[in-house]
Amino acid sequence: MKLAVISCIHGNYEALNAVLSDIDAQKADQIYCLGDLVGYGPHPNEVVDTIRSLAIPTCQGCWDEDIVEGLNACECSYPSQIAEQRGKLAHEWTNSEIRPDVREYLATLPLSLKQDNLCFVHGSPNSQHEYLLPSMDGFAALERVLSVDADVLFCGHTHVPYVRELEDAKLSVTVKSPAQASDPQQFQASLKRVINAGSVGEPRHGRPNATYVLYDTETTQVTLREVAYDYEKTCQAILDSGLPSIFAWRLSRGMEFAERADDPSHVCER
Amino acid sequence: MPDLNDCSLSMESFDLTLVAGPPGVGKTTWISQFLKDAARPLFYLYPGAQASVDLARIGYCFPWVSIISDDQLARVLTDLPDQAQVFMELGFHLDLESPLLSAYPGRRIAIVPPGLATSEWHNWADEVMPSNHSQASGADKLPAIWRSPLTGQVFDPPSLDDVLIELTGGAYGQVMRLKGIFELPDGRAFYVDFVEGLPGIEYTELKLPRWLDGRPDRFSGLEIVGRDLEQKTIAQTVLACCLADDVLFQYQRQYQQVQSEEETVIEESEQEVMV
Repeated sequence: MKLAVISCIHGNYEALNAVLSDIDAQKADQIYCLGDLVGYGPHPNEVVDTIRSLAIPTCQGCWDEDIVEGLNACECSYPSQIAEQRGKLAHEWTNSEIRPDVREYLATLPLSLKQDNLCFVHGSPNSQHEYLLPSMDGFAALERVLSVDADVLFCGHTHVPYVRELEDAKLSVTVKSPAQASDPQQFQASLKRVINAGSVGEPRHGRPNATYVLYDTETTQVTLREVAYDYEKTCQAILDSGLPSIFAWRLSRGMEFAERADDPSHVCER
Repeated sequence: MPDLNDCSLSMESFDLTLVAGPPGVGKTTWISQFLKDAARPLFYLYPGAQASVDLARIGYCFPWVSIISDDQLARVLTDLPDQAQVFMELGFHLDLESPLLSAYPGRRIAIVPPGLATSEWHNWADEVMPSNHSQASGADKLPAIWRSPLTGQVFDPPSLDDVLIELTGGAYGQVMRLKGIFELPDGRAFYVDFVEGLPGIEYTELKLPRWLDGRPDRFSGLEIVGRDLEQKTIAQTVLACCLADDVLFQYQRQYQQVQSEEETVIEESEQEVMV
């Protein structure tokens, strides 16, 4: 079975359409979406309508949660004062634009999805706000995969796609109790993978192109796809909608909004 | 500009060097090489700029150089000490044909891009020197200059990085030259320099005492030379990077604490040495 995994669309309808066409051409059997349907981009309602009309299984992203719960992430979510101000502007704009039925739909989204040995989350199994960066400590990354009892953990949120293989992991566990000493027990974990799907609508890899991944459940082959689309249309829609013009400038350069926090492993206390 | 008819200038008593050229060729940098040696009395002036980044940078880097403001000019030039060396930097926005300027009896240096063969600078200068790079603009169309004093403002460092990348990347119009002096919450001040066509944005820490007690009462500011500059958006974006009072004072308290802890450690180690 050939899966397509998409993430972080951020109200970018043009990019989503281009990616869906590419998924068609690649003949994927099933699409999963890792959330952040809204925020920053000019077409939050249209993006949600498209995802719903195709009945794509979707988990909730941090921006989707903020639209449902209100903006209550701690300030650590932003790397700079100006990024935070822009994030708040984008949130307020989206919040005023979104239809009630769209908000209700976002509220129903689960935090994670599973299919056999595959698990799908937005940020990490801990939180939609946690970043699983490729540089993350290997043991911590392994813990995230093991905690959901999966072999492959699909995530998004960082807007930069990657595949990380955790091979030959050996775990040693010692249980200490006052009553008796316990010998350490050894475990050998099978190959685990973390696959980041990148971002459809707000890439952060220096080019405006959308990214997503294909996964073959039989061969376990992963393909990172980069899809060019008419990003100038989205840029024009950003300007027309009254969103800050700097959003269009950054989108056209694949710079996104530098939303990553100083300490990426920090989980918001909410 | 002062009325030059009032003062009689004598070439005997001092050296006057006038330096002109398009933005970004390195006028201030060229002058700076002569300001390092404090053996002779040194004077620097930049007509038309009451408070500019260049003036402040010269003052911070070469505290022995006397900086002459426009209104002091006539008086200072008539009463210079023996052996005085005077450097006058002429911004690209000044009319070199102005009789006021041509009245200054000094050595005229023009710094121009290597590809430029004829220009108003060539006609004006005694000596034409090529700049180190060819990207500086020609004389065909004068760009705009945008200045913002920022004295008292302290920047959120990552926000400052963001906005400088956007500015120099052309997000708010074509930026040919950017220079600024910025205060950071740890009390340090940085000189920032960008020339279109040269790689990177240069940050240089200024050798100044750390300012950790309220808003800094020393010059900082930003100057941009470019075309089609969205001045209002630039001003709003730059201000959005500045820290509010409560945030700034909280940072300063933390840095004061770190500083006093460091001083305690130094004192203790000195005592150990004495024992």
